[in-house]
Amino acid sequence: MGEVVRRANADQGAAHAVLLGVSYTLIYSQVTGHIPYLLAGALLSLQLALISFLIGWAIGLVNASVLNFGPRAARLVVRGYVTFFINTPLLVQIFFIFFVLPDVGILLSPYAAVAIGMSLNAGAYLTEIQRAGFNSLRRAELDAATAMGFSRLQLVWYVILPHIVKALYPPLANQFIIQVLTTSIAAIFAVEELTGRAYNVNSLTFRALEVFSIVAVIYVGLTLVCSVALALLGRWLFRVKARII
Amino acid sequence: MWAQVMEEAPRFFGYWNLMFLGEALLGTLALSWLGASVGFGFGFLFAIGRHPRLYGALPVRILATLYVEVFRRIPFLVKLMCVFFAFQLSGAQVSLFTIALVTVILSAAAFAAEIARAGIESIPAPQWDAAEAMNFGRWRTLTRVVVPQAWRVVLPPLFGYTVGFIKSTSIASQIGVMELTYAAKILNTRGFSALLCFGTILLLYFLICYPTKRLGERLEARLAPRRAS
Repeated sequence: MGEVVRRANADQGAAHAVLLGVSYTLIYSQVTGHIPYLLAGALLSLQLALISFLIGWAIGLVNASVLNFGPRAARLVVRGYVTFFINTPLLVQIFFIFFVLPDVGILLSPYAAVAIGMSLNAGAYLTEIQRAGFNSLRRAELDAATAMGFSRLQLVWYVILPHIVKALYPPLANQFIIQVLTTSIAAIFAVEELTGRAYNVNSLTFRALEVFSIVAVIYVGLTLVCSVALALLGRWLFRVKARII
Repeated sequence: MWAQVMEEAPRFFGYWNLMFLGEALLGTLALSWLGASVGFGFGFLFAIGRHPRLYGALPVRILATLYVEVFRRIPFLVKLMCVFFAFQLSGAQVSLFTIALVTVILSAAAFAAEIARAGIESIPAPQWDAAEAMNFGRWRTLTRVVVPQAWRVVLPPLFGYTVGFIKSTSIASQIGVMELTYAAKILNTRGFSALLCFGTILLLYFLICYPTKRLGERLEARLAPRRAS
């Protein structure tokens, strides 16, 4: 029987892995057929990352403005929000949204719960990033521009915006990559993004190690593509000189 | 909802539940601190293996860079599943805690390598030349020149990095490791309301993460490298 199985495995182009002295035969051929399905899941991951990033960005923009110009009470609220969300795990935040909100009559789909949790979480980090970016503007820069007779509009367009865009682009791009990796948490709530689909393929084929190693490679590829695209976009649009990888 | 929570609270914060949560808290702390510390050890090795003037022979450099770039681009959950099934299929009898710990170490090493690298790169070029001119070997350069100065740059971000792993270990609840999130899930299935279970552990996470993070920020302000003027 063992001989038959070994032959069958050899026929399918199996790779042999030896781990901790015990051998296990990796068979990728049973999984390769599911790769298009997994890649479609990767698109869903990307979508979730984009949605949560954009909402988080908006939250961060409002919060950073409040921190700079808002009244004291509003500043305290924003500080509290940021501190709380940065110092607790995203998974538990989503658990809270998913399991506690129904008690007060708010029923959310898993996708919505994950998207809301990720947006709020990203909002906290993006508040910090954008506050730091706005604060990197130096008084002397503005004074110099005023001294050179820039109008208010020119000041914003030629001095403030280019400075802020250049300061903010790299950390924002970085946060987007983090967002892409974070979407894997959605699988825990049975959202069928890349990791969720990996669970599905695993229960179909029982080739766990093969499935998850392929998914790991897809994540590496996905984030690499995003990193390179964002770095090139930054160079082309804003002349931000960022490291490509 | 409030009435129900109030009614449950005395039972929820009973002796056995508190012991249970305490054990879970210890699990989270052990997993994250041990993982982050051992991970830093490996990360430091990767960092000196990536520096051409230390131990960065070309093949070592390529391997270390590959490891760091790849392991920072795989989500914690996927790494956890890979490690989990690798151990399972290899037939090795290890505890779930060990599996989670190995995952934390694997990813901590990659992140720590970047932190340590920033420290090593903070040493200005003339000092490398000076060390070479004084006929310092790699080991002496590392221990007498790099480490005594780089620790100021490396230490503060390590607190934020540890907080990151305290938070990441919540994902280890997926394979059933005894830590805070898993404890909350168990208490929730025992019939306690979700608000109490998840609210309590959110608070506990906050209580361990916030001071750690603040300590890092304090140190950062204090150890900021003095600019040569």
